[in-house]
Amino acid sequence: MLVFFRVIKFAWQDMWRNMSLSIMTLLILILMLLSVNTLFVIRVLTNTATTMVKQQIDVSIFFNSTSTPSQISSVVHYVNSFQEVATSTFMDKGQVLAKFRQHYKNNKDIISSLDQLGTNPLGATLIVQTKDPADYQKIITALNAPEYKNIVEAKTFGDTEQAIKKIDSITTQVEHFSFALTIFFGIIAFLIIFNAIRIAIYTQRVEISIKKLVGATNWFVRGPYLVESFIFSVFSVAIAYGLVLVISHFLDIYITATFGQSAFLTSYFQSNILWLVGIQFLVVLVLTMFSSLLAIRRHLKV
Amino acid sequence: MIHFQGVSKKYGHDSTALHDVTLDIAHGEFVSVVGQSGSGKTTLVRLLIAEERPSCGNIEVGDWNITKISRHDVPFLRRQIGVIFQDFKLLPKKTVLENVAFAMQVAGETRSRIREVVPRVLDIVGLKQKSERYPYQLSGGEQQRVVIARSLVHRPKILVADEPTGNLDTINTQDIMEILKKINQFGTTVLLVTHNRDIVNQMKRRVIMLCEGEVVSDEARGKYRL
Repeated sequence: MLVFFRVIKFAWQDMWRNMSLSIMTLLILILMLLSVNTLFVIRVLTNTATTMVKQQIDVSIFFNSTSTPSQISSVVHYVNSFQEVATSTFMDKGQVLAKFRQHYKNNKDIISSLDQLGTNPLGATLIVQTKDPADYQKIITALNAPEYKNIVEAKTFGDTEQAIKKIDSITTQVEHFSFALTIFFGIIAFLIIFNAIRIAIYTQRVEISIKKLVGATNWFVRGPYLVESFIFSVFSVAIAYGLVLVISHFLDIYITATFGQSAFLTSYFQSNILWLVGIQFLVVLVLTMFSSLLAIRRHLKV
Repeated sequence: MIHFQGVSKKYGHDSTALHDVTLDIAHGEFVSVVGQSGSGKTTLVRLLIAEERPSCGNIEVGDWNITKISRHDVPFLRRQIGVIFQDFKLLPKKTVLENVAFAMQVAGETRSRIREVVPRVLDIVGLKQKSERYPYQLSGGEQQRVVIARSLVHRPKILVADEPTGNLDTINTQDIMEILKKINQFGTTVLLVTHNRDIVNQMKRRVIMLCEGEVVSDEARGKYRL
């Protein structure tokens, strides 16, 4: 226990007396963590953006104006029976006409033509949203069956099919790019941290050899560096996460205008604090300890 | 106390630092090991503190067989042999007091014991008043005295001094030699490795002469003859 406390004391002493080197190591760790958090932001923003776009896509099923309520009801039940359906909104002929009139209220020609007809030429409409845009095709294919041919007049999915495919393709590419960027940043971060710690330990190689010559065991020499790794990890994660929260607060002003959600990033980083801080702390700790052990190994052979 | 039996040390295939060295040093002796640069003096010290392993032969120091010593036991051996180097080897970021205390801290000594012993040894080497200074704030002679104080904290049975006066002027050299003599009078075996002719001749003690890695002479009251 005495030796353990001494190791902690020496770690603090080393950090304090090598202040510039300690600050440099801490800064590199903070910069790396800010880069990683930038990746988190990119990922969460692209995910939210694509989800929002996907949510705005639906398929409209227009019924023939001659279709009977029982025929329409059977189709609505059939469509709702699909597990892939997230929501469906049914509008009867009257609601469709009211919506149509509201939409074209400034177009006198259309409104007067409608008035001249005297009857409601529009059929009921079912607006369907699926859990995944890829499922729309399944609904459409099902409604192409001969028994629905005279009930369903048209389906709008054909217009949005290309858009959905495009969004799916962009989402996949963004995810691939984001993953590749994470790997790239990870490698860069590892190399930077490994070399920063290696340089820090290299500058103390003479001290390490002296400690060995006066009878210090390998673990007594290694101990302070491992404790320093722990301290660096705690401080760098705490400072970086604090900075991320402050930056998020400023970015939220712009993000709110786009996504319509207030404090979007701040609430993301606050609600996921345990997971995000935990994983970052663990990665930094493993990285710094591994780098320290590897860098110090060659100087211990005295 | 120290026993070398047929010890050789080779670096690579064609570089021999020590060749078939056999010698015995008894408890309480003051022995000077002399020789020109490259004669194997420093290799002898490095073998003694297990910084290097012999290529062949056997080395015993007290109860330790250095030839077979495990890496785990090396720190414990070094706590029993005081070593003084020409380049001092002080921890630059620690004060005089911390440098001396460090040798006790690594051995797991209690704080009260450290507080008791460190000021005493600093007093012996005349540095009690400068205990809070850092090595760069001391002269060469003072730094060497810190090293001696550090080597004394474990009350070693053997003190190895590798060119302890190599970086010192005449006055500081005399001071250091006086301290070494005093330590020897307390019963500690002193092994002085040097190429300083004057101090060897002045000591009038046992002199082992090395030349190209071999012991060429070993006299009980010898002189530097190279």
